[in-house]
Amino acid sequence: MNEEQTWVLQAQRGDDQAFTQLVETYQKPVYNLCYRMLGEPESAEDAAQETFLRAFQHIARYDSKRPFATWLLSIAAHYCIDRLRRRRFSTFSIDEEDDDSPAFEIPDADAPNPERESVRREEKESIHKILDSLDATDRAAIVMRYWHDASEVEIAESLGLTVSAVKSRLHRARLALGKRWEESSMKQHPQRRPHESPAF
Amino acid sequence: MNHRPFEDWLLTEQPLNLDQKRELQAHLQDCAHCSALAEVNLELRSVKMASPAAGFTARFQSRLAAQRVRERRNRLVGVLILTVGGIGLLGWTLAPYVIQFLASPAGWITAFVNFFLTLFEMLRAIGDLGSIFLRILPGFIPPLGWMIILSTLGGFALLWTVSLWRFTRFVKGAQR
Repeated sequence: MNEEQTWVLQAQRGDDQAFTQLVETYQKPVYNLCYRMLGEPESAEDAAQETFLRAFQHIARYDSKRPFATWLLSIAAHYCIDRLRRRRFSTFSIDEEDDDSPAFEIPDADAPNPERESVRREEKESIHKILDSLDATDRAAIVMRYWHDASEVEIAESLGLTVSAVKSRLHRARLALGKRWEESSMKQHPQRRPHESPAF
Repeated sequence: MNHRPFEDWLLTEQPLNLDQKRELQAHLQDCAHCSALAEVNLELRSVKMASPAAGFTARFQSRLAAQRVRERRNRLVGVLILTVGGIGLLGWTLAPYVIQFLASPAGWITAFVNFFLTLFEMLRAIGDLGSIFLRILPGFIPPLGWMIILSTLGGFALLWTVSLWRFTRFVKGAQR
């Protein structure tokens, strides 16, 4: 039995300290998933905290045959999906929420190449924007695939989907992301031709 | 422009051999669509994991403590509502009887005593009747009849025991 399994077992017996160790270990992946899903640090912090609270309340139901990380990310993904769906139906629009953030960032003058840094930052902003355009479940699948290196089987287990559904969602999401990326690249660099892409 | 099989290669992330890689690179030079797919793939892979602000675990512990206080308060409020509601309902149901009792206590006490006396007399009569039957009945029923009666009773007892056992076993399984 490894250290993690020991903590889980102790937490299932009501040991708060053991659960704190699990929070310490998994705070980054859980926060990252929430951040990539919700796109704002405050919402991500709240969602990550809520994920751990739910995990703590339901730890007795955790099946030790499954990896703990998958179980935890599954709680986080479902919570974020619910939150995104509720956000869609609320009167508050995402555009209004985004109005608080600055329209552009001043490039870091100390960076080795300020122009390149600025371009990188713009591209990362674009990643956020294009992820926003995806359906909540597709977004969860993409985040788990790219940031957490989750296999299709793990994504399927976490999101309660079949493996073929995950494959089809990933395929569709990648296609949509590519399309959005192409559009945003054209808007940002109308003079750049496709073959001048910085990726190649 | 024909994107096959390059689009599939990019979308399914299948491993490519050297020739396929060369073909893909050549295609990407001319195809904006596949180039965007490759770029976004690369970009997604290059973005680092986001980290929470320092003190996440401490904030979780505070949140957990607050949640426990809230749960305790909710439980207490629930118990209070149930108790007050139960007392109120009981009072509302019993109020007419209490009022009547307070209006004429002697009549109520007499009726109460009469009821118990009647009940006692009835039970004694049933007992007497039963003892008479038990004295007379054995003579009327042949040994075969006794065997049938006892076997039927034994069967019912067995059925009852098995039902109880199965019912309790089902409940334990459901809790697991």
